[in-house]
Amino acid sequence: MLRFKYYSKIWWQLSRNSFSIVLGQRVALLFFLVAKVFRFVLFTGFLFFLISGTKNLAGYNTNQVIFFFLVFNVIDVLSQFFFREVYRFRPKIVSGDFDLTLVKPANALFISLLGGADLIDFITIPPLLIATIYFGGLLHPSLTSTFYFVLLLINGFLIAMAFHIAVLALAIITFEIDHMIMIYRDLTSFGRFPVDIYKQPLQGFLTYLIPVGIMITFPAKAFMGLIGTSGVVISLLIGILSLLISFKFWNFALKKYSSASS
Amino acid sequence: MNKYLSIFKISFQEEFAYKINFIMWRVRNVFQIIVTFFLWDTIFAVPGLVVFGYDKSKILTYVFALMIVRAIVLSARAVDVSSDVAEGNLSNYLVKPISYFKYWMTRDIGSKVLNLSFAAVEFIALFIILRPPFYFQTDIYTIFSFLIALVLAVLIYFSLLFIISAVPFWAPELGWGSQFLVIIVLLEFLSGSLFPIDILPIAWQRFVMATPFPYMIYFPVQVYLGKITGIAMVQGFLISFFWTGGLYITMRYVWAKGLKVYQAFGR
Repeated sequence: MLRFKYYSKIWWQLSRNSFSIVLGQRVALLFFLVAKVFRFVLFTGFLFFLISGTKNLAGYNTNQVIFFFLVFNVIDVLSQFFFREVYRFRPKIVSGDFDLTLVKPANALFISLLGGADLIDFITIPPLLIATIYFGGLLHPSLTSTFYFVLLLINGFLIAMAFHIAVLALAIITFEIDHMIMIYRDLTSFGRFPVDIYKQPLQGFLTYLIPVGIMITFPAKAFMGLIGTSGVVISLLIGILSLLISFKFWNFALKKYSSASS
Repeated sequence: MNKYLSIFKISFQEEFAYKINFIMWRVRNVFQIIVTFFLWDTIFAVPGLVVFGYDKSKILTYVFALMIVRAIVLSARAVDVSSDVAEGNLSNYLVKPISYFKYWMTRDIGSKVLNLSFAAVEFIALFIILRPPFYFQTDIYTIFSFLIALVLAVLIYFSLLFIISAVPFWAPELGWGSQFLVIIVLLEFLSGSLFPIDILPIAWQRFVMATPFPYMIYFPVQVYLGKITGIAMVQGFLISFFWTGGLYITMRYVWAKGLKVYQAFGR
């Protein structure tokens, strides 16, 4: 409990610092915010228009397809809000400044992963959640489906965390991160649509190996009552396994850190 | 001329120096094509289905043509100009006996040649794997029109990129923000990279077609497919020429103004 309080305090302090930096450049904040809202609105509009012409997408109606897209956004925006520091990790490795993180009296992974919450994404979270709840309500879910949805949403977030940890570890080993994180973003963008639209073996690859399907499509499907208890259990196991593997990978990478240029 | 040839060679070699970066960039392009391909492939799963005036063959040709057109038009090193201005690195070029615009155009051409060669390989590989129904254009007149549309698209993108990259002259902190808004978000939706513009309602189509964005991707692809002919093609080329000239004049004007207020921040 004490450790939790300690790290909560650190996170709050680091987040405040990060927010202050962004608030110091308000016009830039506005540009990014407008761009993100534009992207969201234009894509939602595209989906609306597309499904109105085709009547369905892989058997899903307009509200369902929009809900898949909203769930993708919830996990994507939450990940970006919490894990924005990952995008700033490479210069620390290249310059050797990561040494300064290692000597701090806090876990280096915690600081590298959660040390710079993003204000821009934070602002978009409430309207996104309201839209998700609104469109979710239109699907008339049962109590069990809602419970499974919340459980798998948390699981999806944990898988996203595992991805980000893996990217950090790869950055230590290869000095490369910018494209790696964008590849992660591209892979998750497969989840903007239900993974059912992809043909095998790509669908299986995206569901279980990456696992974008479990991360994004499964929570939405569980909400629609399309995933049973066994599916939920398997998803949770894969989520936990992803996280454990990413922790192992981080510890392995940490031993390879050469403190170059410092 | 020789100095620009040297810049071309160096730029080409530089792309190979950062192999992982380049490969990752190409991988990302392939991912985007796969998502778009499967989206439309699923929509047109029912044989003979025609939606928004497209059948499966036409829409998948559009998706595959995107791969080549994007590689030619959107591969540009000039995306780095914004940070040159914001960080004061522009000074290094201003003292050299070269034209800054020609320097980046030369580097862009190097990048386009390299990206096009890789896109061609990816095209063949994905074509063999996905086996889409593809329409090969054989009419010489249409191919020639397509090539002109491509050249105009490259010039429009170049000018637009330089106009956006001029923002840091006045607000250095807005460099990436303005690129993100215009080059990433607006370009993705309004250029036809995600969907053909003619699937939109008429009012929306008219609005989008009045902007420069569709003339970078959608218009060249439609010309290739033979979907734009006659008066519509002439009209499209006229608007395309208008944007090419208009954006070029705007770029020169904005940069002339920008260089007067340039303070080499960070130097």
